[in-house]
Amino acid sequence: MFGSRTARSLAALLAVAVGFAWWVTSPQPVEGGSLPDHEPDPVAGERIFWAGGCASCHASPRNGKRAKGDDKLLLGGGEELETGYGVFRVPNISTHADDGIGEWTLLEFVNAMHRGVSPDGRHYYPSFPYTSYTRMPVEDVMDLKAFLDTLPPVPGRVAAHSLGFPWSIRRGIGAWKRRYLDTDPVMPSAPSTLVGRGRLLVEGAGHCGECHTPRDRLGGLRRERWLAGAPNPEGKGRVPNITPGGKEISQWSAADIAYYLESGFTPEFDTVGGSMVAVQENMARLSDEDRQAIAAYLKALPALD
Amino acid sequence: MSYLKSRSFLAAVALAFTSPLFAGEGPAHERHELMEGVGDAAKPVGEMLKGEREFDAGVVMNSFETFDEASATLGDLFPPGSEDAEGTEAAPAIWEDRAGFEAALATWADAVDAAIAANPQTLEETKPVAGEVFKACKACHDDYRIEDE
Repeated sequence: MFGSRTARSLAALLAVAVGFAWWVTSPQPVEGGSLPDHEPDPVAGERIFWAGGCASCHASPRNGKRAKGDDKLLLGGGEELETGYGVFRVPNISTHADDGIGEWTLLEFVNAMHRGVSPDGRHYYPSFPYTSYTRMPVEDVMDLKAFLDTLPPVPGRVAAHSLGFPWSIRRGIGAWKRRYLDTDPVMPSAPSTLVGRGRLLVEGAGHCGECHTPRDRLGGLRRERWLAGAPNPEGKGRVPNITPGGKEISQWSAADIAYYLESGFTPEFDTVGGSMVAVQENMARLSDEDRQAIAAYLKALPALD
Repeated sequence: MSYLKSRSFLAAVALAFTSPLFAGEGPAHERHELMEGVGDAAKPVGEMLKGEREFDAGVVMNSFETFDEASATLGDLFPPGSEDAEGTEAAPAIWEDRAGFEAALATWADAVDAAIAANPQTLEETKPVAGEVFKACKACHDDYRIEDE
């Protein structure tokens, strides 16, 4: 049917296509030796831990309920996130040598947080919000590792995700990352030092955009609708618009926002609800200045309705 | 009936159909109204704690008494069969873990009793006792209320 020349050309074309696909989907880790000269500080890392909400997903549920109080420091994982792509199972990130990440090097940890790449060179699914964490200063990531290293080991390896095709092909995330893994800040320049501090917290560790920003059909965040509200990823309802243009909190003052993050009470003195309960409990562990910085950043956003 | 009035009337009818808790009857409606009243009483006290409103010991005590009355009846407004009321924010956990729910309500009632007994006359005296009351509100909502979406 085909001449041998045609067959050879097709084979060559296929080889190029496969090679291109391999290149496009390849993990892009940070090179060894590229970490800055920074002494990791576990005390500074605790602030990053709460800002980053690590415990909200990685703390092991107890009797089917969300971990509370000191149980938030037992990071054995095991929570299941049911999404349209399938079930994501949150891994153990405790210091346990076999089941957790106790044996990881600092470079391996930075690669996970900044590039979404595992120590064995595979892509993580963006259910782990490295798309936000990639905007964290590397010193903060190093401090966070130092804090995690102080937490107890928790035994128990968590089962793998159960995803439908084609999401089950992990390699494909490499192509996705080339489009959506973006280290540039969303707010191009911060009008004040306080807003700049808030920008790091909101766009980086706090990963607020992962729920408050809508996604496109490939699951990437729509930057032009940054923090303007989105369907609830965990089911019915909507995650609120938190820009100054939304109905939900545009009437709140910066002080109201900071107070809400500290206390869990809205200006009407209703209490925080839904998935935000766990987030607010984390924010309550930050300093007043950090909460004021978050509020200042939200007030400095473009008003989207 | 003017055009404007008839339009408001239609809007009210529409609201009655879409928001049974606002227009209906029964325990789900009653508990919703009761909690709305508690929220209205909480707001001025909260604003004083935030420093947005001038302290007024009388207003504070009125609010505490509203909480006290509400805490005496709230527990009775979640009978079996009312868990599926349309639009309810009551979490299934109330019926699955009745003892835990009753304990959370009791924590709130105790905090209110202590606040009334303290009879605070200054903002500084109000802060700790009102803080315990608010903490109890939030703890119960965290476990036994769902988002109304």
